[in-house]
Amino acid sequence: MEKNRLEISRLYNRFGFGPKPGEFSADLKAGLKKTQNKILKISENDPGLNETKDLNLSDLGQRPKPNSAEIIDFATSLRNDRDQLTLWWLDRMVLGNYGLKEKMTWFWHGHWATSIKKVDFPLVMYKQNQTLRANSLGNFKVMSRAMVNDGALQIWLDGQTNSVKSPNENLGRELMELFTIGVNRYSEDDVKAAARALTGYQVVRSNGLVTLNQKRQDTNAISILGTTNTFTGETLSDFLVDRADCENFIAERIWYRFISSTEPMPANFVAKKAFSKREIYPAITAAAKSNLLANPKYELVKSPVEWFVASCRALELIPSKLETSGRLFNYLDKLGQVPFAPPNVGGWPAEAAWLSSASSLYRIDFANWLIKRSKLEALKSIPVGNRVTESQNWLGVYQWSERTKSTLNSVSSDPEQFALLALCSPEYVVSA
Amino acid sequence: MLKVTRRKFLQYTGGSIATGLFAPLLSIEDIAAAAISRPLPPKTPILVLITLYGGNDGINTLIPYTDSTYYSSRPEVSYKAENMLPLDSELALNPAMKGLKGLWDQNKVAIIRGVGYPNPDYSHFSSMAKWQTGSPDRNINTGWLGRWIDSQPEDPLLAISLGSVLPPLLAGAKRSGSALPLGGLVVPTGSLANKCAQLSQPLKGESKLMAAAATSMRNLFNLSETVQPILKTPVLNAPDLPTINGGNAGGDNNLAQQLDVVGKLIAANAPTKVWSVSLGGFDTHADEANAQASLLGVVSDSVTRFMSQLKTTTRAEDVTIMIYSEFGRRVAANGSQGTDHGTSGPVFIVGNGVKGGYYGDQPSLKYLIKGDLAITTDFRDIYATVLEDILKSPIQPSLGQWAGRVNFLKPVSSALG
Repeated sequence: MEKNRLEISRLYNRFGFGPKPGEFSADLKAGLKKTQNKILKISENDPGLNETKDLNLSDLGQRPKPNSAEIIDFATSLRNDRDQLTLWWLDRMVLGNYGLKEKMTWFWHGHWATSIKKVDFPLVMYKQNQTLRANSLGNFKVMSRAMVNDGALQIWLDGQTNSVKSPNENLGRELMELFTIGVNRYSEDDVKAAARALTGYQVVRSNGLVTLNQKRQDTNAISILGTTNTFTGETLSDFLVDRADCENFIAERIWYRFISSTEPMPANFVAKKAFSKREIYPAITAAAKSNLLANPKYELVKSPVEWFVASCRALELIPSKLETSGRLFNYLDKLGQVPFAPPNVGGWPAEAAWLSSASSLYRIDFANWLIKRSKLEALKSIPVGNRVTESQNWLGVYQWSERTKSTLNSVSSDPEQFALLALCSPEYVVSA
Repeated sequence: MLKVTRRKFLQYTGGSIATGLFAPLLSIEDIAAAAISRPLPPKTPILVLITLYGGNDGINTLIPYTDSTYYSSRPEVSYKAENMLPLDSELALNPAMKGLKGLWDQNKVAIIRGVGYPNPDYSHFSSMAKWQTGSPDRNINTGWLGRWIDSQPEDPLLAISLGSVLPPLLAGAKRSGSALPLGGLVVPTGSLANKCAQLSQPLKGESKLMAAAATSMRNLFNLSETVQPILKTPVLNAPDLPTINGGNAGGDNNLAQQLDVVGKLIAANAPTKVWSVSLGGFDTHADEANAQASLLGVVSDSVTRFMSQLKTTTRAEDVTIMIYSEFGRRVAANGSQGTDHGTSGPVFIVGNGVKGGYYGDQPSLKYLIKGDLAITTDFRDIYATVLEDILKSPIQPSLGQWAGRVNFLKPVSSALG
């Protein structure tokens, strides 16, 4: 087997969305160092994205009254915008040549998990996506400040109802528990104090514009985590991000999504130290370049979106061109993961949650549907006799098991069934 | 014309419960094998939870039919008094709930009035999450019954949800309930089935996740031919539901079928203590009266038939049904013959062991809080009673410290007698 095959496979699947046809074998030849640099490269000019369309969502304005004549057009626009937004993002994941930034935006979406089901207006979710994107590999302190000022997050966690007269703890609690320092690293009094610091935010629902209403703001000093001071939402965010717990917590989240969702994070995980200045790129780079990727026990499962995007890249399909997008969203929904609609503020689950028999069945059906829409050019170009071996490179799989080899071997002259079984094989679903 | 467009509107705008959590999928063989090898001991109480998704209008379910405010606040959404099913001089059941009225007359129905939680949330998503997590004060990832599952010896058959997606209420931190899909899932057959079976053979020395991926596929092909027919027997007049009007706020649309399967598995002595079924479509912002009556008719008929099926088994005394929704609806109608999201609503408890009657105060239609009904009973009072008196478990793992109870069950001796 080629040297560093496991690491290269993991670089592709974890720090990107899987290889396009031909990429993986080329990188095996180029070697680990070069592949690391390629995967970790951020390019403002990604030719892969030339085919994607810019998204122009307009402010749909206030929701018309339920029984008014305007409501139908409004609801139709809302639905269309939501579909466009979701396809826009899936297209970017599938078409990009440099996937790290997209993958990090996806990671942060699961971290600051906000659902369109409550936010309602796609434009507001789009703006949040832009904020996550712009900061996805930047400074976490800047990101956290930007998120405190994000309309979607404020609506999602009832920030606009949080006032000096009637504080709402939702945002304050999650800012500490899920976004910056992690659960059990604060007290209930700290939650109440954080809520007071976050009072006064007002959001225009239709466009996510955030303002501060000083009349609703609690400007008194608070005591939080042993410090007494006056805080605003932004200075509270800074204060939390500066804490040592933040370094630990973000390292834990990187560990969980990029290294292993089953094994505990060792105290000396390299990303932790690399995050000491709250810079995200060095932390991710440290994780990607660490020898942890060579350790077989650190497995991850492809989430449904990751599996779908990787499949599209291999099958050379573009999500927005799949007939019909309704069917596509239905599959993703059945598998339990639709972008912009995480199940709750804790984000999506990981590992075995994606491995039920029901999801296995939906995956087979989904793969079948996708394969019917693909010309399967990459697979068909491999001579029948080499398909079992070379399909590992086509899909960026570390290594077929004997079981999968013999199954694929028995259908090697039937490209459709071959592709279906390969995409649904344990080795492809689990990213090794 | 208007109707079609309203339907569309509701499809577009209905909130929905989302859960990414997929439960272990059970095959009928698993359940049947367990029912034979380790049947549920006789007289073990069983809970059947019916979740009504979309926000059932409690005021048009348990109708204050002699209160003039009822008619004046919602002239187009109110029913005619002569069609209602009076329970006493103040309250009547929805005209469609004849079966449930019959059970009420036999003292088998407890109606807990004004149920909700502090600081009501008007979002389907959030409010259902509060009910299902049992945690109205803070967002958590586990359900109130999921935490109970965590506290019990590990058993994938302990709590089962019908449908392929597990409701959050059965999600624990360590374990979760299991899902039993009904219909809609077509397992591959023929050569593809053989290949999938080959692809998912157990492999020695395989890693945990790789083995789990293989197992999940292999289980698809493990349905025994001798057991499958249990579920293939036709369902009695499965009603065609008005799923159009209540939109997309979650829930299934085949309550009768779900309860039919649950009834058969209970009769077969499945070792399951909690069953979860659901019905969607209650988000009646518009054209409410007809849609809601059809849905409540389905609830009433399905529950009544389920109860009569149980009569022929040894489990009739053991089963308690609880019916709830994520919120009630606004007292005043909204001008499109519908009602908007509100606060409290009635919870129905049905069973032979139930002490029939009212519990909790009926919220006043005159003294409203921001246009909404007051909350007179906290749902945790009910959960605590369910945990202690039906599941025979301490409430602490699920609810922490909680003092309230609603004593809707007969004393144990008479329930057994």
